[in-house]
Amino acid sequence: MSLPSMALPGQLLGPSTKYAPGPGTHMHDSNIYASIPGPVSSSSSPATATKPHSNTTSKPLPLLSIRRAPSNPSTAVLGPNSGSGSPILPEVSSTVLGRITRLGPRFATLDIVIINDTVCRESFAGLIRREDIRATEKDKVKIEESFRVGDIVRGEVVSLGDQSNYYVSTARNELGVVVAKGEGGEVLVPVSWKEVRDMRTGRGEGRKVAKPF
Amino acid sequence: MNSDRRRINAPSGGTSAPVFARTVKESGYLKSLRPSRTRGPKELRKIFLQTGIVPSASGSAYLEIPTSNSSTKTLIPSQSSLKIICSIQGPKPLPRSAPFSPCLLLTTTVKFAPFATRTRRGYVRDSVERDLGVHLETALRGVIIAERWPKSGVEVVITIIEGDEDGWWGDDVSSTGVVGGGPGAGSGWGLLNVLAGCITVASAAIADAGIDCVDLVCGGVAAVTRNSASRNGQRQGAVQILDPNPSEHRDIAAACAVAYLAGRDEITELWMKGAIGADPEPLIEGATHAAVGNLSVLREVLLEAVEAKFKGDTEQEKEISKSKSSVQDVEMTG
Repeated sequence: MSLPSMALPGQLLGPSTKYAPGPGTHMHDSNIYASIPGPVSSSSSPATATKPHSNTTSKPLPLLSIRRAPSNPSTAVLGPNSGSGSPILPEVSSTVLGRITRLGPRFATLDIVIINDTVCRESFAGLIRREDIRATEKDKVKIEESFRVGDIVRGEVVSLGDQSNYYVSTARNELGVVVAKGEGGEVLVPVSWKEVRDMRTGRGEGRKVAKPF
Repeated sequence: MNSDRRRINAPSGGTSAPVFARTVKESGYLKSLRPSRTRGPKELRKIFLQTGIVPSASGSAYLEIPTSNSSTKTLIPSQSSLKIICSIQGPKPLPRSAPFSPCLLLTTTVKFAPFATRTRRGYVRDSVERDLGVHLETALRGVIIAERWPKSGVEVVITIIEGDEDGWWGDDVSSTGVVGGGPGAGSGWGLLNVLAGCITVASAAIADAGIDCVDLVCGGVAAVTRNSASRNGQRQGAVQILDPNPSEHRDIAAACAVAYLAGRDEITELWMKGAIGADPEPLIEGATHAAVGNLSVLREVLLEAVEAKFKGDTEQEKEISKSKSSVQDVEMTG
């Protein structure tokens, strides 16, 4: 059976003995069905897939997936693409950009606005615990020397968290504050991994600075 | 009744088109206006469906069942039609007060526009609208793969711009002289059509929003009429029809609306009204046939929409690659 180029929800794509279910598909009665409308793509999964002790499957099954429409805010207001960008949620290990909204004694809260280079429709509430700010010397971290309200922070989601917050970590070199503003709204530039400075006045502030690419 | 004090309300009696004196004076004239079913008993009304019409929503659809023939003799249309718009908000984060949920929380809101039916609707949702919302939620809940979207909620907001009537307007006028007081009023035959339309349009909007579904769900209605006015000498008794328009049938004995998954042969929602008799299965079967008929339209529309969506995408990619390749040699013509 050949694969259809476009699939609709509920459309039979193939048996699970021939394919592996990927994003946008689901299994029912050991068959793979489409679950969103879109073009079907079949890719042979990498040979280094996790099969440490399964010698029965000689080669990995091709992964069936359905591509979502890319979210495209630049298109016209009304049109085929109107409104239907790919809805996106934060997942564990997705890279997010957020704005710090509040500093507590043990955590900082942030509004997640970008997930994996996709702008969210609505911001998600995130939380950076004190022990997730830095990878080393975790017990010496101080919240007020790491973030300031209004900073833009790049982080990684470590947990879906509790009822309201996603837990975000900045405990890597390339994670941390990417845009910092001073009290008067002036842009502070990073000078080291833990300090930003106002170039005009020369006043420095402490931050957990993200390593520039 | 809790009246809405924040807005200027219309008169509660309704704002209907004027009824000409001839309809009241001549007894035969009103009867000649009565619409009759011109399509076959298994023939469905034509559907207009389009997705992606609300720019700010993550998915949206519009459904219309236009009237087949419009009478020019009166200002009141002889048959009601159905116009429903559906928009999907989400998946979005849950409100702060909500408890943790490992899967998608579905909220459905169905609202008649105040001018949707001949008896005017309020601005605040009444019990009928809440009831429709619950029915729609059960229909959709079995279709959505909720565990793909943890900690999030989705809102299905439906506005009925025009709803099917419960009966022919002429019956109201002739029996009581008051609009909205006839034998058809309050029977709720029109509501079944509205529910089936809501299910179909919500299914299209959910697919447009890209929320994972098990199958395409579709609504369908079948009814049993007491065949008092047999047109072509059929036997006296019950006749089963698909997609009934309540204004075309004087005596509907029973009706049934279903939400049907054709791919899996499953029914997620079933709403039955009237005296069905001992065996309801033919009626349910008929309603599923009507749903399959609607599904063919839904499939066609979604396929068209998704092709348009991805065609623009690939064209853009081509343009980008073209512009990249033609950076070196810029040539202006014209």
